[in-house]
Amino acid sequence: MKRRDALRSLALITGGLVLVPSCDFSKEDILSAYQNLQITPSLQQLLKEIAGTIIPGGDIKSAAEIEVQDFILVMVNDCIDAGGHKSFMQGLQGFEDFSKKSGGSAFSKLDQAGRKAVVKAALEVEVATDAKPEDPQKATKEFIAMAKRFTIQGFMMSEYIQTQVKPYSLIPGDYQGAVLISDLKHERING
Amino acid sequence: MANFNIDAVKERTFQAIVIGSGLSGSWAAKELTEHGVKTLVIERGRDVKHIKDYPTTSMLPYEFEHRGQLTQEIQKENPIVSRCYAFREDAAHFFVKDNEHPYVQEKPFDWIRGYQVGGKSLLWARQVQRWSDFDFEGPARDGFAVDWPIRYRDIAPWYSHVEKFAGVSGNKDGLASLPDGEFLPGFPLNVVEEYFQGKLKEHYGDERHMILARCAHITGNFDYYAQQGRAKCQSRNLCQRGCPFGGYFSANSSTIPWAEKTGNMTLRTDAVVHSIIYDEEKGIATGVRVIDAHTKEMEEYYADVIFVNAAALNTNLILLNSTSNRFPNGLGNDSGLLGKYVAFHNYRAGISAQYEGHLEYTTQGGRPTSGYFPRFRNLKKQETDFLRGYAAGFGANRGSYADQNGIGMELKENLLNPDKYGPWNIGSHMMGETIPKESNYVALDPNQKDPFGMPQLKINVDYDDNDEKMIKDYLEQMTEMFEKAGFTNIKTRDDKRAPGLDIHEMGGVRMGKDPKTSLLNGNHQLHAVPNVYVTDGASMTSTSTQNPSLTYMAFAARAAHHAMNLPII
Repeated sequence: MKRRDALRSLALITGGLVLVPSCDFSKEDILSAYQNLQITPSLQQLLKEIAGTIIPGGDIKSAAEIEVQDFILVMVNDCIDAGGHKSFMQGLQGFEDFSKKSGGSAFSKLDQAGRKAVVKAALEVEVATDAKPEDPQKATKEFIAMAKRFTIQGFMMSEYIQTQVKPYSLIPGDYQGAVLISDLKHERING
Repeated sequence: MANFNIDAVKERTFQAIVIGSGLSGSWAAKELTEHGVKTLVIERGRDVKHIKDYPTTSMLPYEFEHRGQLTQEIQKENPIVSRCYAFREDAAHFFVKDNEHPYVQEKPFDWIRGYQVGGKSLLWARQVQRWSDFDFEGPARDGFAVDWPIRYRDIAPWYSHVEKFAGVSGNKDGLASLPDGEFLPGFPLNVVEEYFQGKLKEHYGDERHMILARCAHITGNFDYYAQQGRAKCQSRNLCQRGCPFGGYFSANSSTIPWAEKTGNMTLRTDAVVHSIIYDEEKGIATGVRVIDAHTKEMEEYYADVIFVNAAALNTNLILLNSTSNRFPNGLGNDSGLLGKYVAFHNYRAGISAQYEGHLEYTTQGGRPTSGYFPRFRNLKKQETDFLRGYAAGFGANRGSYADQNGIGMELKENLLNPDKYGPWNIGSHMMGETIPKESNYVALDPNQKDPFGMPQLKINVDYDDNDEKMIKDYLEQMTEMFEKAGFTNIKTRDDKRAPGLDIHEMGGVRMGKDPKTSLLNGNHQLHAVPNVYVTDGASMTSTSTQNPSLTYMAFAARAAHHAMNLPII
């Protein structure tokens, strides 16, 4: 939790940097919170846009609006092995190229439908069975699979969802071993 | 070593010393202090006060930085404890990390430990099945180990005694192999578990049973448990964090505060027991040497009677390290068998399946237990080419899930409205009896020391051919029963886990009738040093199949009363 707060402050401090028109990642600071990854503010922003495409806004906030990218980066940095770090970084760094090839433009310049098409294409990339670990297609697919998995986890297990949308109870109630599904009444939550 | 003046000795002198504040030690402490015995409880770890020292107990899922998962760094530093199912972000602080107390694995052995007040009683799976004479008579009938010096009738009243106080939920099933006890209302089995019960009856008559597993949770008699400050189990299934309701039995919620309330207990935490002091003239043990966990200074404490309840392997370690002219190879070790005949439970095998019936039903709420197969193999007579048999867990589960295909609004709506139901998922895991053997032993490593300067424990424990045959039989029999119940997609597994991960290591200081072939008598006293009692897993002559904790609690209570010359309650 502390780290997340630190990251938010860091994002505020470096916010100015992000606005400086520059396409050269090498001139950007690397966020020190993720010591196993080389995350620049631009990459962090790109990841946020990807998360917001996987779970977009509406009646309920999007994954981007609740900063799920921070959770994704914590999980990849801390809970994924070195091979996973590599494909995640390679896939993330190569994602703008993938977007240009597959969607015809940088990811951030695309509209919602265009972004969705690019993420969908990345999830559906075909990777040769004998692909080398550094194969860009393979990295794209592994990266987007991780991004999607942690977006879903980070969104559903967020404070926002678990307190405001679907309040979570630590006490699930007495066990009932034969509940007719037809008797269950769920109030539909619109996205 | 320091020379104490008379006052200092007085301050360090008690009527009884209990080594270990976990499940069995806390029971000895409770019984002793309740009857007015001034008791020192020595714990190598830190204090963990009920509720106050359960830092994660009320945390919501989103409050865990990694949502419960442990980091790669922690897992890499702790390959052994990381294999334990409960070593996760919410309870990792209650487990011993690999480098805290190293040991030598002559053969792979996952030694899972909890060094704090309450020990592993905070973390246990809370399953409490009684033994029967099918278990106590096992070694004599089947010709292994040595005969138990006690029978069910000796321990039955003590089972009742501890069940009442700890709180045990279960059904009276009327099975000779798994005697009924003092039960609070049982949790329900679900519709498919009941269906499976019916199928077993249809195909196996009265030979095989699947029942609700008895668990140490409070489900009734609430006014009685309120005296302990404990309340109804809320089915949170977060027990490993420590329970703010005291819904399950732990030393921390029950026996330790109870002992404390008598005013007769002194608790010395952060003290690693080095050895037991033996007085050659008197021919008895007179005290305990401890190493302060922080200053590493040696201190001595004295008492008339000493209970060793350090958990099975550490109890062996302490006795092996308690050497004197009279006992050069460890306290009470005239037989040369101290540390030998260590055994465990074989948890290697499991089976999963699906069931496409009763699809109109699901379950709701939580349940801290599941189904249980009491042993049926070789129960009344020898019927296979291996000795003994296995118990097994059993469960059927079904719940709704979300379709996670796709992205965008479709995915979001699916996630927020999980309304898909698959078939029922069926699972079982094996709990096999292993045969204690002289070649399965623990000993002191002559060279390597732990961070406290104690010799490291060398562990040499392995499976044998009997275990392999039993795994094969479990998988065959379960497959047959699953097929007869119409379960599909049956998958068997043998995860080849090392011994130890069952966390049911036992023996090394076994009970027996003959001092030549055992260490303890039928009252848990060392044959050669009768004021030293061992009532934890180290005392086990054989393992049976049942989760052993209830038996340790009953042993501790029984032995404490023996030490106080009190009749059976």
